[in-house]
Amino acid sequence: MGKSNLFINGTKGDKAIVLGNEAIARGALEAGIGYASMYPGTPASEIIAVLDKNKRNIENLYTEFSLNEHISLHGAIGASWSGVRSLCAMKNVGLNVASEPAQFLSYTGIKAGLVLAIGSDPGAPSSSNEQDDRWYSLHTYMPIMEPSNIQEAKDFTKDAFDVSEKFSFGIVLMAPSRLCHNAGALYFGDLRDRADIKGDFKKDPENYLNLFNMAVRNHTKYLERNELLKKYLIESKFNKIINGSSSKIGFISSGVIYAHLIESLDILGIYEHKILKLGFTFPLPNELIGRFFEGLDKVVIVEEAEGFLEFQIKKIAYELGFKGEIYGKDFFRQTGELTIDDVISGVSRFLEKPLPVFFDSAVKTNKELRDKLPQRSGTFCIGCPHRATFYSILKAVGFSNTKGKERDVVIAGDIGCYTLGLLPPYNAMDFLTCMNAGLGIGQAISIFDKKKKVIALVGDSTFYHSGIPVLLNAVQNGADILYIILDNSWTAMTGHQKTPSTQKDIDGKSSPNVLNLKDLVKSLGVSYVKSLDPNSVKRFASQIKSALKEPGVKVLIAKRECILQEVRRNKILNKNGAGFAETGGSLYEIQKSRCVKCNECFVELACPAIILKKDEETDNDYYYIDTASCVKCGVCYEICPNSAIRKVEFDLKTEFKLSGKSLAVTL
Amino acid sequence: MKKFNIAIVGLGGQGIITMGTVMKNAALSSDLQDVSGSERRGGAQREGYVETFVKYIFYENESEMKDPRKSMHSPMIESGGTDALISLEPLETLRGACYLNKNSIVIFNKTPHIPISVRMGQTSYPEISFIVSELRRITENIFFYDFDAISIENFNSLTQKNIIALGALFAKADIPIDVTAIENILRTGKGAENNLKAFKLGLKL
Ligand SMILES: Cc1ncc(C[n+]2csc(CCOP(=O)(O)OP(=O)(O)O)c2C)c(N)n1
Ligand code: SF4
Ligand code: SF4
Repeated sequence: MGKSNLFINGTKGDKAIVLGNEAIARGALEAGIGYASMYPGTPASEIIAVLDKNKRNIENLYTEFSLNEHISLHGAIGASWSGVRSLCAMKNVGLNVASEPAQFLSYTGIKAGLVLAIGSDPGAPSSSNEQDDRWYSLHTYMPIMEPSNIQEAKDFTKDAFDVSEKFSFGIVLMAPSRLCHNAGALYFGDLRDRADIKGDFKKDPENYLNLFNMAVRNHTKYLERNELLKKYLIESKFNKIINGSSSKIGFISSGVIYAHLIESLDILGIYEHKILKLGFTFPLPNELIGRFFEGLDKVVIVEEAEGFLEFQIKKIAYELGFKGEIYGKDFFRQTGELTIDDVISGVSRFLEKPLPVFFDSAVKTNKELRDKLPQRSGTFCIGCPHRATFYSILKAVGFSNTKGKERDVVIAGDIGCYTLGLLPPYNAMDFLTCMNAGLGIGQAISIFDKKKKVIALVGDSTFYHSGIPVLLNAVQNGADILYIILDNSWTAMTGHQKTPSTQKDIDGKSSPNVLNLKDLVKSLGVSYVKSLDPNSVKRFASQIKSALKEPGVKVLIAKRECILQEVRRNKILNKNGAGFAETGGSLYEIQKSRCVKCNECFVELACPAIILKKDEETDNDYYYIDTASCVKCGVCYEICPNSAIRKVEFDLKTEFKLSGKSLAVTL
Repeated sequence: MKKFNIAIVGLGGQGIITMGTVMKNAALSSDLQDVSGSERRGGAQREGYVETFVKYIFYENESEMKDPRKSMHSPMIESGGTDALISLEPLETLRGACYLNKNSIVIFNKTPHIPISVRMGQTSYPEISFIVSELRRITENIFFYDFDAISIENFNSLTQKNIIALGALFAKADIPIDVTAIENILRTGKGAENNLKAFKLGLKL
């Protein structure tokens, strides 16, 4: 039998194109993990997803999509204490939620190796902040490894389990989006025999109990272990010094930024300076740094964010009495993603070397060009139920883009696909921070500002993550607020993991233990709770209106499955039909003769399937439902005030030929 | 060391990431020594700007391959550093133009996808002639087609446009891997028949 699935069968000598996240998962597999869990979060989600997807074919592997990061990390600790190597993954902000278990992990230590893989998100392309989780280690004492490329992502993860066991620390493996979502070549290693992976919890009160003086004793112990680890890291293979020629200048870097640095130096044609590559960025041994400083009088640290390495290295330099100069944030910015362009520019300024002409002119041309381009922001998928929910809310509170009418309700935002509702044309959120901030902050606003109504939004996964106590709190303390739970049955934003609301899996299988959300909400003491289909926008909007008139905590559940999952399931179940919209059948059409371009569907609802076309004869623009992308949700049909939208029988190909080349706005 | 960089840009849901994955997998079976390149997945499926990079790396000799100053590569392409740019949306071609230099080859799709700001009447969508003239300020090697139309015409669906565009790239640029390597990857993947047909259509453009 051939190796049809290298991820689970690959051995030494095999090579494949994999995602950084898959490389991390593969490293954990090579290390013989028996436990893997996470609460999903971009960019880390695929780390556990790939293990979960393949677990039927991997002996003795338990995987879990936990309800939140706090639970997930505790699970990994329990597995480790049972003698099973465990991997826990989360996104950067996940560690805020898991900071409590992380804080205790060094106190108690581990039994079998434990690795916490964190996907950081500099520039926040998929997050609500860009925090650098490395700073946590200054008080959790969790050692940090930073792989620079896909190969290291696997190799470091595998080795991390050994280091974890040797020094009894949970190890943090940091990977930014650029690595998590990098796809490239990986050379596999051998897999461990998995037959003997089983749990055996042995009591260890000396380490696991933390109370009064026991806690103080454990505090002392982990500081000692930290010193031992530092000694080990002076000579370890993870930190490397690349010697320069006679130059007195040195560069220090780690992770993906190190990869940017090496390529930048190559682009600039600079090869003579000393370089320190840190595989472990915490803890840093003084001796290693001292050895690097030898012969140097100018050192620059190339790293992202506020300068975690610079902070540590300047302290070490002080302790060592280093007389040279140390730079860092003077040349590399603190906010946003540090790109290869930033590193090229920073290095050239630091060394006072001119930029290559091709690079300099590209940067300049682009600066002029950027301002001329219309911005583009993301939006909901075509037919997404969230679009209908936002449309209904805005109609209920009198907001209109085309008529320029403001809303007077406060809308408390939260995290998920529905967060896209804060972007134009909806602009339907007044604040957005972390998970379940919406109702918590909204409750207090409803208490202090009696003049305004408050609507708080939340997704089903976010609600189950940590929203239940927030809702209970609002009820117990007599808040006056409308809470809308956008229940689309999935954790959609992060790649569609199941939630307790998921009724049917993507292959059509019913979930064994679906939760009745309405009953749960009732049981928390909410008497006003209704579950509705958001796509019936008129009914939904009038329900919102009435709910806003009632006192106390009101809950509306906008219940409709994520359209993307519905379409995917239909495709799987109906392979011959090759899908949904593409085969034609009954579709929606805007009748040119009736449409007066009132903009209700085009701007207010703003379904991307409704597009602008040019009539070739009259040269006038008209609105048109793009038959190749419409998913037939019917919302535009319901809202059109001029009855200009009708259902028609349709064949995509003939229609396209009829409309000829006019798909393009202009030629 | 020689490098060949390809930047692929467009919108979430257009199959940008797949194009990158096919190109990288094709390199595995050729005698190329290294392949890398990052993908931006945030906002995929949701009409946001997406880009992916493919970087083919050839080392001159064994010692270069082991040289720590040569054998580590950024997952990104620097400004002005791409040999080819493929874009599946006209306006986004200009957002990807930062990667171009005077020798780069540009292949872009003519079917526009209007952003919300245009929908709301706040800005207007640039004419194709504007896009072309802006690109011409950087490079002369510009090719554009209506990949949406070709895909609908031949497959009754939009899903094939990315592979057609990939074919066009191989037709117009001197890519250092074999056409057959791409075909072999497409042959073993999902929807092989349509993909091979789409790739061939692109090659003829
Ligand atoms: C503490 C924390 N963990 C994880 C995430 C990543 N994340 C972003 S949105 C989301 C879940 C969204 O699911 P849901 O609330 O059901 O909304 P949907 O995307 O389905 O609309 C998650 C887990 C986060 N932002 N914060
Ligand atoms: S993935 Fe689902 S929930 Fe998210 S925007 Fe698309 S349809 Fe809506
Ligand atoms: S029916 Fe109307 S609103 Fe629904 S997907 Fe089609 S065009 Fe969009």
